[in-house]
Amino acid sequence: MSLPNPSDGWRSSSSRLLALYSSLFVAWSGILMGVMYFEVSGYLDNLAKHSLMQRQHLFSHFRGDQLEDALAASMTFDIRGIDAYGLFAADHTYLGGALQQMPAGLPLDGKIHELRDCSESDDPTLPADSCDAVATPTRDGRWLVLVRDNGSLFAVTRIILRALLWGVSLTIVPGVIGWHLLRRRPLRRIRAIQASAQSIVAGDLTHRLPVSNRRDELDMLAAIVNAMLDRIERLMNEVKGVCDNIAHDLRTPLTRLRAQLYRMQQQAGEGSPEAAQLDLVLAEADTLMARFRGLLRISELEDRQRRSGFVELDPVRLLQELHEFYLPLAEEDELHFKLNMPETLPQLNGDRALLFEALANLLSNSIKFTPPGGTVILRGVNDAGHTRIEVHDSGPGIPESEREAVFQRFYRAEGGQPQSGFGLGLSIVAAIVSLHGFSLEVGHSDLGGAKLVLDCRQRLISQS
Amino acid sequence: MTRILTIEDDAVTAREIVAELSSHGLDVDWVDNGREGLDRAVSGNYDLITLDRMLPELDGLAIVTTLRTMGVSTPILMISALSDVDERVRGLRAGGDDYLTKPFATDEMAARVEVLLRRQNNGGAQPTTLRVADLELDLISHEASRAEQVLTLLPTEYKLLEFLMRNSGQILSRMMIFEEVWGYHFDPGTNLIDVHIGRLRKKIDPPGNVPLIRTVRGSGYVIAEPV
Repeated sequence: MSLPNPSDGWRSSSSRLLALYSSLFVAWSGILMGVMYFEVSGYLDNLAKHSLMQRQHLFSHFRGDQLEDALAASMTFDIRGIDAYGLFAADHTYLGGALQQMPAGLPLDGKIHELRDCSESDDPTLPADSCDAVATPTRDGRWLVLVRDNGSLFAVTRIILRALLWGVSLTIVPGVIGWHLLRRRPLRRIRAIQASAQSIVAGDLTHRLPVSNRRDELDMLAAIVNAMLDRIERLMNEVKGVCDNIAHDLRTPLTRLRAQLYRMQQQAGEGSPEAAQLDLVLAEADTLMARFRGLLRISELEDRQRRSGFVELDPVRLLQELHEFYLPLAEEDELHFKLNMPETLPQLNGDRALLFEALANLLSNSIKFTPPGGTVILRGVNDAGHTRIEVHDSGPGIPESEREAVFQRFYRAEGGQPQSGFGLGLSIVAAIVSLHGFSLEVGHSDLGGAKLVLDCRQRLISQS
Repeated sequence: MTRILTIEDDAVTAREIVAELSSHGLDVDWVDNGREGLDRAVSGNYDLITLDRMLPELDGLAIVTTLRTMGVSTPILMISALSDVDERVRGLRAGGDDYLTKPFATDEMAARVEVLLRRQNNGGAQPTTLRVADLELDLISHEASRAEQVLTLLPTEYKLLEFLMRNSGQILSRMMIFEEVWGYHFDPGTNLIDVHIGRLRKKIDPPGNVPLIRTVRGSGYVIAEPV
């Protein structure tokens, strides 16, 4: 079983937090700049209108040549070409100034109006786009048109936009870099937690999640999980302790029972009905003892943490031995029992006797469930430098829904026949396989029946 | 008469052991604690000791170790509630000769005692040929013959026959056969050993000959002179 991998992309919580912060900052600075723009442009607009009004006021005091001189003089101060004027006769004919035409659509009412298009000429000294304009009658009956470019307002917009751009990019760029750097650290710790969790999932309940002395959220979480594990381990040990005690207490009565039954059977006359009955009772007692021993065997195997009995062993010899051991039984059941393997196989690290027992159980099952005339194959495969041992049969197979359950204690196939055995064999196999750190898979064989694959690649062996 | 010392703290189990071994014509003394057991084992002249692994006062394992360091070589059958493979190894390494786990069948226990006694008595002489009626097994050439007729045996069949013949007249349980011939200590299921015995039987007891291998119901197999 494997744990989900932490995402190292956008799904990690640090990435999300950073993204949230960045977007909040961008939105906030956008709002700030918008308000600023609104306020500043309103103020500048007022200022422009005010200055136009002042000029209109100023020039209204002049007449004749004086007016023309004053206008010309005022233009010399307008270095940036914001202001312009045009002097027109009463019948709107051009008299002087940069504006050569009365702007179209300007009402002749002496009030300031904002014009979209200031003048039609291409003169670069004239304001091109929008402007404020006022047409005012002079004292000598002529028309004076004053315009003021709104360009400075656009400049403000530009400045504010540029500031916004800078601000945003200064948030986003360090944000992305920060995200890149920040996500690594928690990710490293998550991976460490994942590694320890994996061995716990694999069955080593003595393992705990790593806790650093930083006392951050991850440590809190790890501490909570560890407390839970403590409790689970204690409960499991209690249950185990109770089971062990029961088992221990049962050994002596079982021994006594069997012994007394045996004595009664010996004392009963040969061929008497009592003797025959006692034979049956004795057989039942033997079955009971065999099952009991099987249960003890499993709890013993599950208890065993130590692997010092492990040696490098040659699977070829082991498979040959198994084949020889089971061939007579298979032939008795009219099955073809084949051994199928290359001349050499990679060595495995394990307990020879236990592996023999596990494989014997698998073979014994396959032989038991395969109907006469069928085939059972014991196969050794070199899988990229690791040995894989497979047992195939042409029996009824194991339905997908039951593949997990078959390794549980006392599992019997649905509507299991009486021959389905003690139901302990496969749990013994599972215990041995997990002791070795190997993996066992149930599948569908090409022969039509079950396929049991023992992958002898050692993984996650905790050296406690 | 062969004398056996039984060191066992459970009175009922002890009584059954004594009854079973006595029925095999053995003279059995029973002691219920470790300290006295050790004293008797050292001073008494016993041919075999059955020893419970867990005893009051002095532990079974300590008794074996002490006896062996003192140079007492009496065969010891250890009987233990601890069935772990490691326990077995520890018991045998300390000097036990055989190891039986509780719950056990008394007939199996008696069979193991008989085999140990037989091994002890044969300790000196190393026969080169084993003989049961007209069945012969040459231990040097690994050849078997029945009534001058040479039999071809597979290596396992040879080992099986040798074990049976070395203990001829003695009932051997399936468990004992499996342990001795294949060298493993688990329950392979009863019919496996039966099938192997069946094969061997076909070879050495062909039709027309008096069968030598006998099945003892509930207990195991025995090879013996026909009665």
